[in-house]
Amino acid sequence: MIWDATFFESIPRFITPLLLAALGGALCHRAAVFNIALEGMMLIGAFFAVVGSYFTAHWLGGIGAALAAGLASGGLYAWFTVRRGGDDIVVSIGLNILAAGLTVFLLRAMFDQRGQFDDPAIATLPRIPLPGIDAIPVAGPLLSGQSVLFWLALALVPVLHWGLVRHRLGLRLRAAGDNAPALRTLGLSPERIRTLAILASGALCALGGAQLSISNVSLFTEGMSAGRGWIAVVIVMMCASRPLWILPAAVFFGLVDAMGVRAQAYGLPQQLTDALPYVLAIVVMAATLRRATLRVRI
Amino acid sequence: MAADDSRQAALCRLHRIDKHFGRTHALRGASLELRPGEVLALVGENGAGKTTLMNVLFGLIAPDAGGFELEGREGFFADAADAIAHGFGMVHQHFMLFDDMSVLENVVIGAEGPGRLGRIDLAARAAEVTEVMRRFGFHLPLETRVRDLPVAARQQIEIVKLLYREARVVILDEPTAVLTPQEADALFSMLRGLAGEGRAVVVITHKLSEVMTHADRVVVMRGGEVAGERRVAETSAAEIARLMVGRDIAPVEKKTHAGTGTRLALRGLLCAAREGERQVGPVDLDLRPGEILGIAGVAGSGQGPLVETLVGLRPAESGRIELDGQDITRANVAARRAAGLAYMAEDRMRSGLAIEASLAENAVAGREAQPPFARGPLRALGAVADFGRDLIARYDIRATGPTQRVAQLSGGNKQKIVVGRELSGTPRLIVAHNPCWGVDIGAIRFIQDQLLAAAEAGAAVIFVSSELDELFALSDRLAVLYDGQVQALLDRGDLETGRVGRAMAGAAA
Amino acid sequence: MSRARWIVPLAALAAIALIPDLRAIALGFLDGAFGGRNMFNLWSTVSRASILLGMAVGVLVAFRAGLINLGGEGQLVLGGLAAALVGIYAPLPVWAIVPAAVLGAMLAGGLWGMLALWLDRGLKVPLLVGSLLLNYPAGYFASWLASHPLRDVASGIAQTHRIDRDARLPRFDGTILDYGIFFTVAVALLVILADRYSVFGYRLRMQGLAPGFARAQGMPTGRLGYQALFLSGAIAGLTGFTAVFGFAQRYVDGMLTLPLYAWTGIVAVLLAGIVPWRVPIAAALFAVLATGAGGMERVAGIPRESAQIITGLVILWLAGSGRSLMRRRGE
Repeated sequence: MIWDATFFESIPRFITPLLLAALGGALCHRAAVFNIALEGMMLIGAFFAVVGSYFTAHWLGGIGAALAAGLASGGLYAWFTVRRGGDDIVVSIGLNILAAGLTVFLLRAMFDQRGQFDDPAIATLPRIPLPGIDAIPVAGPLLSGQSVLFWLALALVPVLHWGLVRHRLGLRLRAAGDNAPALRTLGLSPERIRTLAILASGALCALGGAQLSISNVSLFTEGMSAGRGWIAVVIVMMCASRPLWILPAAVFFGLVDAMGVRAQAYGLPQQLTDALPYVLAIVVMAATLRRATLRVRI
Repeated sequence: MAADDSRQAALCRLHRIDKHFGRTHALRGASLELRPGEVLALVGENGAGKTTLMNVLFGLIAPDAGGFELEGREGFFADAADAIAHGFGMVHQHFMLFDDMSVLENVVIGAEGPGRLGRIDLAARAAEVTEVMRRFGFHLPLETRVRDLPVAARQQIEIVKLLYREARVVILDEPTAVLTPQEADALFSMLRGLAGEGRAVVVITHKLSEVMTHADRVVVMRGGEVAGERRVAETSAAEIARLMVGRDIAPVEKKTHAGTGTRLALRGLLCAAREGERQVGPVDLDLRPGEILGIAGVAGSGQGPLVETLVGLRPAESGRIELDGQDITRANVAARRAAGLAYMAEDRMRSGLAIEASLAENAVAGREAQPPFARGPLRALGAVADFGRDLIARYDIRATGPTQRVAQLSGGNKQKIVVGRELSGTPRLIVAHNPCWGVDIGAIRFIQDQLLAAAEAGAAVIFVSSELDELFALSDRLAVLYDGQVQALLDRGDLETGRVGRAMAGAAA
Repeated sequence: MSRARWIVPLAALAAIALIPDLRAIALGFLDGAFGGRNMFNLWSTVSRASILLGMAVGVLVAFRAGLINLGGEGQLVLGGLAAALVGIYAPLPVWAIVPAAVLGAMLAGGLWGMLALWLDRGLKVPLLVGSLLLNYPAGYFASWLASHPLRDVASGIAQTHRIDRDARLPRFDGTILDYGIFFTVAVALLVILADRYSVFGYRLRMQGLAPGFARAQGMPTGRLGYQALFLSGAIAGLTGFTAVFGFAQRYVDGMLTLPLYAWTGIVAVLLAGIVPWRVPIAAALFAVLATGAGGMERVAGIPRESAQIITGLVILWLAGSGRSLMRRRGE
């Protein structure tokens, strides 16, 4: 049966990385930073989550290492774009290539592994059981026993929405994206606010990566992000960087992922189900962007 | 100096400011004094140093030499925040607003007030802004996005922004460029009120009529220096003009030589509107050979769409465009150019030129595939370079040669390339959109003379400008646009500021 | 400042010369890139440079026109695939196979490139993202073909059957370098010359520098864009052909994607500052970097991914050095 508990249980696991990365990308986009290095930042997060978790034998170590690595990659991005005036797209390309090379390099240098590293010592994120809901047919597997990151990602949606409207940082973030010179005439620094947004996106993407490597599974494989960072970019664009719209979009692509995996069990070639999200991404973007509601700043 | 008597009352003083940008000596010992209760006009040509001086005042540029004194305190502001904290506020020529944010957000940003953990108490801020607006007689919808407001309202937001921050010094850069004459009068009476409460008001402008009517004192800048300072009551427009330019400027000599027949006919022309745009048209107009039709209107009254539709960059929704009796409504830009269209685009840096390309490459654009600039699919590089050199000589363009990058040239020289390119090859119809914007007075005269000469040679000219002075000087007839419609069509003999101003505001002329 | 600029490389050179371990690594790098028995490694560097040159020139055509085509990978893969299909299955006389395969490869790559621009202009999916997303279906489709319907089952890995022996691109005597390099070098020369001496090249350049200007001057910008994307994709497809008919002699799953040819091609164009004559130099540089890193791995066990790390760092450094790598639209 396709619609069994395992299927529902898997949906949030696919949603979480997309949601976290898209929220991070949205913060940048709102500040007029076209961050398309989400893929690389996720990959770095996934790798260092495994590193931290393996060496500390605790999931918090994994999260901590992922966060630190994510902030570092955000710092690198911010340094080369905001500080040195580099082009967003070029820096993104550089960071993506660097992330792909660095993770494979370190995989071999640190663990002497090619392709994949798994070890019983890698601690996974705790799952949060929801007594009382467990037993309900669909909602039970969907909501009970999910990782902390799933709930964090969900909570961030209203928090970021509120913050963009009602918090002074949110106001200034939008202002930096709208008209940076005008912000400067007010004596405020668009550079600072952009740096903050980029750092936040690095951290969020890294957490998304951690969900991939130490929650969904407990291992790291080369190129583990597998294009999810690009799907996140698509989500950011079609949702015009609005947190409240990003949630349903992430749910949609999470569902597609989950159903793809399911379909493989029924004999559909993996390559075709793997291609599905990208084809759908193009179709959905064409459908949503056509009305030109979004002015894409690139 | 004529104004020494009120020295004691100075609020602040810039003293002998000097500033170089590379080899350019932008400010040469310029001094300026602001006094409470006074409306000061700061006038000068493009590049005279007005903006640089204001940037020095605001701490945005560190001068090479000179001093600043505010109420006995010495030393320049550290940055814009410092200046704002000391009660200095500026309304820039290009409004510094956030289009996608509400009026309230635009006013309070940077001064969001107290709030736990950075939360903004929007209700409390709204009450404060409402109170400020009530005191000064503004009526702005606080929740509306700036994007949806007209230009005059946006300017009011900028002023409310300053008043909300309790500015004592209010500086406005070319504030009337986007206003109708009536709106400009209203603005100045409001500024007079602000000065009356003890603020120092500075208006940067190049419109001498405004200076004479509304200012108390005028400081004239030329070539980075203060060329003169006068009490308005003790001077004349002619004297200020002489100080600005350093010599007498003869008025443009305009002869009417409109021929017979119809060069251009617009019949019920309706421009295709893009999403969110107001409709422009239907427009009915006839133009004779040799005739210059001026087009006036507040910015955004439909000039852009009309020009784009005329040159083929925007399709016509309905109606006809005929050039010498030939229907070109559906023709593309290349076909229209082949039929004798020349186009001087408003946005020189993006549409008029490829500034990263060389002078010669810009000069042949549009004719790159025709002899002598091409042989079949290949370019004739020798002919291209020759043409570039020819243009440099004929138009007195200050450039090192045909291969120099256009980005390195001054505004006036850039525009000379556009004018030279478009006027070579005896066009039949010239569409010129603000061709004199942002260039120095010498180049302005040159460009105006070129347009007059082209008209004399038989071209019909559509001359869109935001400057009434030059429209009055060049036009045989003047069409005033309001909200996408031709509100008035006046003959040269009927041109009068009040009439045109009323039409610009949408009233019957 | 100016002194610091040459002190660093000088110190690095001195360290390499004086410290035995570093010297061994450096020699390993040089051997990996230029040495080997019968100069095997040199020829494999040249072979890789040929592929990178093809990819870079394809990207160059699009970037020159201001069109950010990140879809080189999909265009390359589909070109290679089309070539393989023609080479293996087309019932053609031997002499016609290569021309047919070239045509098929260029059509496949070119149309895939045009599709990306159509998504942009027709459906408002930004070219940058649309072209990139199209890489994935193309890559997965080729991977599926190679591992299921077209698989050479006997070989045990995911690859197609071999191209007919007589249709393969011959190799230079005593080397592993095949005649594919004639194709890529010829295309590169053509593009470099056309950029300067043809009206088409001039128009592409003007459109890239100032699209609004090109339109206002009456250049056929709509057509130019599709022509540029077709050419860009077709050159990538042709590169796929040279790989399939050249060193691989068949389509092997991942042969065109795993070495990051497309991304390296983009990086080479950026390093060249989108200046045509510098592109071949940049492509050769990255080929040396990749094979040299392989040499370092052999002598010192440094993972060869060090080449990717250096590539990424080079791009970051370039982007931050204020050189105009990409002339942005507007502002």
